[in-house]
Order: sequence, then C-alpha cells, then structure tokens
Amino acid sequence: MESKKILIIGGGLEGVNAALDRAQAGAKVTILEKFPTLGAERIPRDRLITPEDAFVNPDLEKVRSNSSIDILTYSEIKRLRKDNGRVKAKILKRSIRVDNSKCTDCKACIRVCPVNMFDDFNEGFGFRTAVDYCNPTTGEYNIFKEDMPVCQRTCPVNLDIRSYVGLIADGKYLESLAVIRDRLPLPGSIGRVCPHPCETACNRQYLDKPISICFLKRFVSDVELSKGIEPAYETPERKFPEKVGIVGAGPAGLACAYDLARLGYKDIEIFETLPVPGGYLWVGIPEYRLPKKLLQREVDLICSMGVNIHYNTRIGKDISFDDLKKNFDALFVGAGCHRGLKLAVPGEDEYMGKGVIDCVTFLREQALGRLPKAKGKLIVIGGGNAAIDSARVGWRMGFDEVYILYRRTKKEMPANPWEIDAAEHEGVKLQYLAAPVEITGDGKKATGMKCIKMELGEPDASGRRRPVPKEGSEYVIEAETIVPAISQGTDLSLLPRDHTFKISRHGTFEIDPYTGETSIPGVFAGGDVVSGPDIAIRAIAGGKKGALGIHEYLRSR
Amino acid sequence: MIYEKERRYIIPFFDVPAERAEMPEITVSERKGNFTEVETGFTEDTAVTEAKRCLSCRRCLGCALCWAECKPEAIDFSIPDQILDLEFDEVVTTAGQDNTFEKLPRELGYGSFANVITDLQFERMLSPTGPTDGVIVSPLDGEIPGRIAIIQGNPGGGDDHLLSSLILGVNESILALHRNPELEIILVSPLCREFHDKFMPQTETLKGLKIIDSAVSGVESRDAAGTLAIKTRQEDRTAEEAVDMAVILTKPKAVAEPKY
Repeated sequence: MESKKILIIGGGLEGVNAALDRAQAGAKVTILEKFPTLGAERIPRDRLITPEDAFVNPDLEKVRSNSSIDILTYSEIKRLRKDNGRVKAKILKRSIRVDNSKCTDCKACIRVCPVNMFDDFNEGFGFRTAVDYCNPTTGEYNIFKEDMPVCQRTCPVNLDIRSYVGLIADGKYLESLAVIRDRLPLPGSIGRVCPHPCETACNRQYLDKPISICFLKRFVSDVELSKGIEPAYETPERKFPEKVGIVGAGPAGLACAYDLARLGYKDIEIFETLPVPGGYLWVGIPEYRLPKKLLQREVDLICSMGVNIHYNTRIGKDISFDDLKKNFDALFVGAGCHRGLKLAVPGEDEYMGKGVIDCVTFLREQALGRLPKAKGKLIVIGGGNAAIDSARVGWRMGFDEVYILYRRTKKEMPANPWEIDAAEHEGVKLQYLAAPVEITGDGKKATGMKCIKMELGEPDASGRRRPVPKEGSEYVIEAETIVPAISQGTDLSLLPRDHTFKISRHGTFEIDPYTGETSIPGVFAGGDVVSGPDIAIRAIAGGKKGALGIHEYLRSR
Repeated sequence: MIYEKERRYIIPFFDVPAERAEMPEITVSERKGNFTEVETGFTEDTAVTEAKRCLSCRRCLGCALCWAECKPEAIDFSIPDQILDLEFDEVVTTAGQDNTFEKLPRELGYGSFANVITDLQFERMLSPTGPTDGVIVSPLDGEIPGRIAIIQGNPGGGDDHLLSSLILGVNESILALHRNPELEIILVSPLCREFHDKFMPQTETLKGLKIIDSAVSGVESRDAAGTLAIKTRQEDRTAEEAVDMAVILTKPKAVAEPKY
C-alpha cells in the first residue's frame, strides 16, 4: 500500500515535531512554512526551566535528513481543493534568490543592502536588511521581496501603482500611462470615478495622508489627451480563430474584450442594449464626473483592436440567448445591475412613471437626454453613490429644491464621503434619520411623500445601527419628482425562461471564483451581474478574470 | 520617526514633500444648470510633487548591490518562484512561525511606549542568537533596565492561557535573572489555580522575582527617562509600581483552518 501523504501547514516547533512524528509513523510528509526557514528555538510554556537549558530547539537536522519529509519553506498555499477524499493544493514556493550551497556566510551582502525593514524573525525588534538569514542557527540566506506593495495588492486589477507613480515623479507620463494600460483599458474614466481602495491601503496614511493615486492616473491620461497623442492599442500577430460573444459593453465587458483582443482573439462581438457604450459609466455616472467624450474615446480605442459593438441589441429580445450561444465558441455575460429596486411603500406602483422614477432610469434617461424639463422639487431616497449622483444631477437640471432622504445618519451613509460633501456644498438638502412611508398623489401624479423620523437602535448584521421609526413623527414633504435610489438588482430577462444557470438568491450568476465560468460550460460572467452593485474597477477585474477563463477554456478544448 | 503598519515599520525620509495635493474644482456657481466636469485635474507640477510623495513601499529594491558584493556568487536573482501542484490525503494546521497574538488593550501602552514590549520580543531578546545577543536592554534608550514588569495582556483569556503565559513569564524571569542577577522583576497577572498549586512553590524561591496577583489597569510613562508606572488594583485600592521596562504576556491567536 502506498503511504499516506500529509501536508503540515506551519513550520514552527509544533509543525516540525508533528512532521517528525508523522514520518516516524510511516507517512510521507510535506511541511510548509511562510518564512524562509523552519522552526526556531522557543522557551517552553508547560514547565519551568533552568537557565542552562532555556530554549528548546526543533531537530532540524533530523527533518532535513529524513527522506520521508519534504520541506517547502518561504511558501504559501494559493488554492486548496477537496477532490474525491483527497486534497489538491496549489503552492507557491518563492525564490530565496540565494544559492546557500555557495554562500560563505561572510555577511558582505548585509553590509551593503540599503533596505531597512522590520525584523520579522525577531518579532519586529530592530531592523534587518532585505537580504538576511532568518534563523542564525541554520544561517540560510534569502532575499526578501514582496510580491506586491500594499496598494497593488489592494487594487482589484493589481495595477502596478508603484511603477506608474514613480514614472510620473520622473516626468515620464506616457510611459506611466503605458504601465496603467497594461492592466486597465480605461485609465481616464477610472481615474475619474474610482473610489480608489488603493489609497485606503496606502502606507503613507500612517505618516500624513495617502498618495492621490487615482487622480495621478487621471493626470497621465489627460496629458496624452492634451498633447493629442493617439495611442496604438496593439494586438499580437498570432490570432486565434474562435469567436467570443460578450453581453454588455460596460466596464466588465469592455475589459474582457480588451484582454481577449490582447491575447490574440480577433472575433469579438459585444451586444449592448443601450445606444451608447460604457454601461453604467455612461448612463449611471453623470457627465460632470465623467465627460462622455472622454469615455467614448477610450471605448473607440478598444474597438480599434477589432472589437465590434452592436448597439440597441437586447439579448432575450432582439437575439435569443440560445442563438447567441450557438453562434459563439464562448460567451461572457457582463450585463450589470440596471434595475432599480423599489421602496415597497404604498403609492409607489400607482405613481410609477407619474412623478416616481427609479434612480437607474432617472440617471439613464438624463444621460441620454430623454428627461422632461425639471420642475418643482425633487426627493431622492437612499444613501449610496447613486442617490448622491441623482441629487446632484437634479440640482444641475434646475429643480427648485433637491432633498436626499436617508434613514440613518451621515456616518452610516455608504456613499463616498467626498461625494456627500460635494452634494451638500452644492446646496442639496440632506435629511438624515428619515424614512419614506407613503407616496402621496392627487390620483394623476405624485405630489409628495409622507416620511417618518427614525432613531438609531442596536447594530444589525451589517454592523451599522439599525434605524427604528419614532412613533407619531410622520410628516409630509411636497415634491413633484421622487427618485427611489435604494439599490440595484440584476435583470436576467436575457436568459430563456427554462435556463439551467446556477443563480444566487440575490439574482446574480454563480461562477467559479478562479475562472469566472458559470455553471454552463463555455459561458462566463463577471462584473455587477455576479457581484451585485459594486464599483467599476471590480467589474473590470471580473472582466479580466473572465477573459483569462475563456482563453484557458478555448485553448484546452 | 518610525511608523508602523500591521507589525511592519516604515521609515519616512524627509526629502519627500508632505502635503497631499487637493483636486482643484470649479466653483458651485459655475456648476449650476450645466454638466461641466467639476474636477479640473492636476497641473504637471502638482502631479509630479504628488507622485514624489510615494514611499515606494517595497522590500528588495532590485538594486543588486549585494549581488555585486557577493564574492562566492551565491546571489542569483534569476532563480524563479515555483508553482507546485500537489495532492495530499490529510492537511494538518499548526501555528507556524507567524506569532500573531490577540489584540492588546490600549491602556497597556504597547505601541505607544518603546519600552513596552511583548513576551515574544522579550523571548528573542533573551536568546543568545537574538538581536541583542541575549543582553537585556530597553528599546527606548538602549540602557540596561534595573526593574522590569511582566504584565498580563489578556487577564480574561481563560485558565489555559493564564497558565501557559504565567509559566512563560516565570521562565523568562528565570533566564533574565540569570543574565543579570541585579535585576528586579515583578510579574503582575491574575493567577490560576493550577499555577498556584503546581508552580508557585518553586517560583517563590526565585530571588528577584515578585508575583502580584492582580490585573493591570494601565501603564503610563511618567518622566523624560521613560520610567513606566504600572497601575494595579489590589484589595480595592490602586497601587503603582515604577519600572524601566514592561513585558506584556500575549495570548496567541487560534490557528486558522485553511480555506477550501
């Protein structure tokens, strides 16, 4: 019988002893440790010691000489999967960049290394250089290099921020833009609208304030624009013959198309319901945050790679999903979340379209220039970015007064704080701790909204304090236009009624987290249609994942 | 000044301009009734200055100074990372060398005062192969401390935690007193029954170690020399002990099971 294979995670004293025990018992052991060397000496915690015998050392010689033990140091698990009672592991073993069989322990490298970093082996006591030995008793040298700085690791598409910011500091703007475009097809647009999680992670915040990473990205894309440079979006010479269909020309679909074109796919067709590209970037983000001209240019650049967009084409109506699937070798669905959710209060259905208009429709129709002239007052209900956008759009359209109603306080508002401030600055009236009760009307159109005041109670599942209505505090605000902006959902009417896709209870596609493939082979999905309403850069990450998944799928067929 | 994030230290160089650039905007009156872009973008000067604020967080810079210096040519930047696909019948998780511990109460001064350290750091300090070659020095000023307090960081961590941390505290005291017989150590922690019964008799024979059965309510820095006041409550009244350095007994974080 073949001996049992055991993976021991953690190469401390405990892990080393476990490895020796298991190997003794006849198993094949692999011991995995994040640090570049195995176990260090420890002071016992179960018995009193004598000064002469204070530290217990793991028997590393015994581990090394045991042929049943494989040592994986400086390694980490990338993926673990249970498969038929066994465990499949994908492990990254980092290079230590030092050939320890040649090293003479002269320490010359340590003397010259200019890097001064936290000494992880000594619990942050003092500093060490990037080249060092972790465990002085084993003296194994290694060069420590992080795979990514924290900003890059936080960025959903892992933009090489350090490089592009560094290039700007050197005055090499176009080179910087090229670094950005290597992973991000829409630098000008994302440089304007991204809520920049990278800045939230930036280490500089512990000194003063984070680097303005997002606006620097915008800056280099503006430089190219102002100099009138038309970049070439190149595709490789070697082409693949397969046809890929993409549903939705939003950030996810465009990113997927961009990456596929760069991989060498020449037959990429995008089907878009709207007459314009960009998805929510066009019909959700208002012009004053992202000029359409700029977005159009970035989309045109992607199209110049041989990507074809069919506008005004709704899947499930103009073309059936099954036809689409027949005509293409692989599909990517990036249909987004373009359905505004309802408040579910009396009067909402009655006056829908007669003064009540959900935020998705409101922003879209405004962006497409199809809204009637603003008249009277506007109430927006909700605390997310779509609510703030709707209110700021309304204010620009010329409504007499614009209100935002939110049932908690400013602190709990999910919108970006700088957007809330801007809305307040522009004169939008924010009413906190107020919830809608009923939409009132005169039988023909909405005339206002009955609200109730709220108080904050105990924290709920989201960690935010739950608003509780104050009895008898109802009041009425008169308004001709009421925009519910509480959340958005997916619209799966593109799928046939008898489809067999795995759909989550939130109405989103369930996908393989590594490839982006849905439960139907050859059909991939990404962006808001998978995650629910989320930020553009994560939709782009979903599109990129889908592109790689499709490539892997088509190449292994 | 050195600042810290997630147990990492970062050293700011003072040749970088410090102010974060603000995005210029058009005025509110310019926005009314139109959809002109609000944010107007950085000028070239602003952008370059802002980009220079980046600390370029990284470890190895790839400067290759070590490679140039290495006589036996042992340094090789071309050794690649490897991705291994392996199969196992069983996965065992152990603590590894990543000594993470439960969050410490802010009042104990860890992170605020340089001479408040953890038991894990003290363990390294006591090691002959550690950063100080086994010499006990205060990280505040490099002086040899005359009086040290070892204090409990998680008094509510349960009896098992109290027992193992107390034993570690006593063991570290044994070693520290052996290195420096002049040293005075107070160990402040609620005791547990098992420690009291099994280990107290031997502990009481140690010269230089005093055990105080109490929780610490706070650690404060009292003077420019960094003398620490360890505040305790004993029999309903507060007491203070003055020490040169404090060591906090930490509770290791439970080992996380891997995600499948």
